[in-house]
Amino acid sequence: MKTLLPLALASAWNRRLSLALSVFSIALAVTLLIAVTRIRDAAQTSFAQAAAGVDLVVGPRGSPVQLLLHAVFHLGEATHTMRWQSYRTLAADPQVAWSIPLALGDSHRGFPVLGTTPEYFRHLRYGQQEPLGFFSGQPFSGLFEAVVGAEVADRLGYRLGDLITLRHGSAHLDELEDRHPHGAEHADKPFRITGILLPTATPVDRTIHVSLASLEAIHLNWQGGLPLPGLDIPPQLATKFDLTPKTLDAVLIGLHQRTDAFRTQRQIADFTGEPLMAILPSLAMDELWQLVGSVERSLHGLAWLIVGVGLAGMAAVILASLGERRRELAILRSVGAGPGHIVALVMLEGGTLTAVGLLTGLGLVEGAGYLFAPLVNARLGLDLSTNAFSAEELRLIAGIFATGLLTSLLPGWRASRMSLADGLVPRL
Amino acid sequence: MRVLDAIIRIRDLSFTWPGSRRPCLSQLALDVNRGERLFVHGESGAGKSTLLNLIGGVMLPERGYIDVLGRPLGKLSSSNRDRFRVDHTGFIFQQFNLIPYLSVLDNVLLPCRFSTERARRTGGSASAEARRLLAALDLDPRLAHRPAASLSVGQQQRVSAARALIGRPELILADEPTSALDPRRQAVFIELLMGEVTANGGTLVFVSHDQRLAPLFDRCIELLAQ
Repeated sequence: MKTLLPLALASAWNRRLSLALSVFSIALAVTLLIAVTRIRDAAQTSFAQAAAGVDLVVGPRGSPVQLLLHAVFHLGEATHTMRWQSYRTLAADPQVAWSIPLALGDSHRGFPVLGTTPEYFRHLRYGQQEPLGFFSGQPFSGLFEAVVGAEVADRLGYRLGDLITLRHGSAHLDELEDRHPHGAEHADKPFRITGILLPTATPVDRTIHVSLASLEAIHLNWQGGLPLPGLDIPPQLATKFDLTPKTLDAVLIGLHQRTDAFRTQRQIADFTGEPLMAILPSLAMDELWQLVGSVERSLHGLAWLIVGVGLAGMAAVILASLGERRRELAILRSVGAGPGHIVALVMLEGGTLTAVGLLTGLGLVEGAGYLFAPLVNARLGLDLSTNAFSAEELRLIAGIFATGLLTSLLPGWRASRMSLADGLVPRL
Repeated sequence: MRVLDAIIRIRDLSFTWPGSRRPCLSQLALDVNRGERLFVHGESGAGKSTLLNLIGGVMLPERGYIDVLGRPLGKLSSSNRDRFRVDHTGFIFQQFNLIPYLSVLDNVLLPCRFSTERARRTGGSASAEARRLLAALDLDPRLAHRPAASLSVGQQQRVSAARALIGRPELILADEPTSALDPRRQAVFIELLMGEVTANGGTLVFVSHDQRLAPLFDRCIELLAQ
């Protein structure tokens, strides 16, 4: 091996132009595969962190994934609701450290509106257990005040003090607005933006947060999803009514002891007031990731395919070079190289090319990460560095290297057969 | 006495190239003595190169046996034959002898990379021995680090002779090494080569179609095309 490596390197250097191209294609394929893996991992991490710090999500009994989609991602419609009184009972439980009630159902230009309490800003965590931060302003404190997520503010160009109106129902497509220009708009009670949140890469960015009482207030004169004709309650009069909500969609719960989660989950399942259910967000999140993971898996498969193409290209380049190397191989045979040496020589070349391609690809990924990570972090909130050189990535690198070596076995075997048949002087 | 001292013994040797109906060599018997300088003459296609491949143990005879230094080549495993070849044999070919991207010195040192025996027999410093051989073969020492491809054909042949001689192998097999040289350089090259072979105590088997070279050798045999 020690004697062969310099030979293999000198020989490869002699053919550097054609080999450089195959190294380049391997490097690009590796870049793609590593980048896809890192983005996937970052996305999965940020996905799993969407409900970081929440120990239990409580809602009406039904599908756990649906509850998670609704409570954390604000997607889908609630088929059932839970009673306000049940929330009061849960919040009073000694095991419960904090609880955040959630009410959904309205929207603003495609973004979901979430009714909650100021506790939300105090207890909700994202990423590495980081609390929500305000880009400007502060949490809502009174009626008809709203705190918008970073993406909402960015996409719609909102600033503090802007007035927005909410739409009844969760129209998730902006086009819907054009089709129903006079749809169910809570036009009589506009909200003032009092806070804009920092980006978190979680559904918080796409959410408009208002108080539960505000949601009650805008629905005072509504019934069955439509305003009651002839009944107008101006905003200033709304405070005269009891604005305690009657129903909620879900409650997020933090426990004093994380280890109590399973016990509390069982207690909630046995809740006597109404059929409730509690889910552990991390478990349900894994289940959900399995559902949305197929896109990621096919992308990953595609990246592997491209690595395969790169390595096959390398094998083809080495195979093609054997013709011009007949003399070289015959000379090596005459000075004592056996067929094993010839195979080793070609595999050393293949291994070196793969290794150089790998290192170049990793360099490209690291370089791109260095250049773009701050931007990606600021825009998408994805932390690309979390999974750099993780055990899985190292396995991936080792796997590519092994595949490269294995691929060069074919030209290696061919070279050894050729040099045997040629004897000491190739018959051209 | 001479027979006992045979370094190569060939008996009843036949070889047919795969796909060819006529045998290339048939029923050949040949003894080569230690220290002998043998000229093998024959037309193209008479099987001269085939004979060298067989003596080198790169190919195996169809029938008969070849004995080199008392070792029957046919009974060695192929990896043992590879080792035996590099330990005891040096080769010189017609042309394109050198690996173009290696330096002159690295080309000469190639056998020492594959054979610890050859490296050992250089007496310590393989590269000093390589430089000595290059100088003895009348090559400018400044060429040692030049890539082999930059040398003239005549210089290349002297480098390949140095490579065949390094580590004092018992047997030097030369396959038309002078055919790319003009007549004056042919004689100079053969004289230099023979001088070094004799100094090393080696045996030379020199194959050529050019009968004019025959008088320079101890003995001459002729292979006839079948």
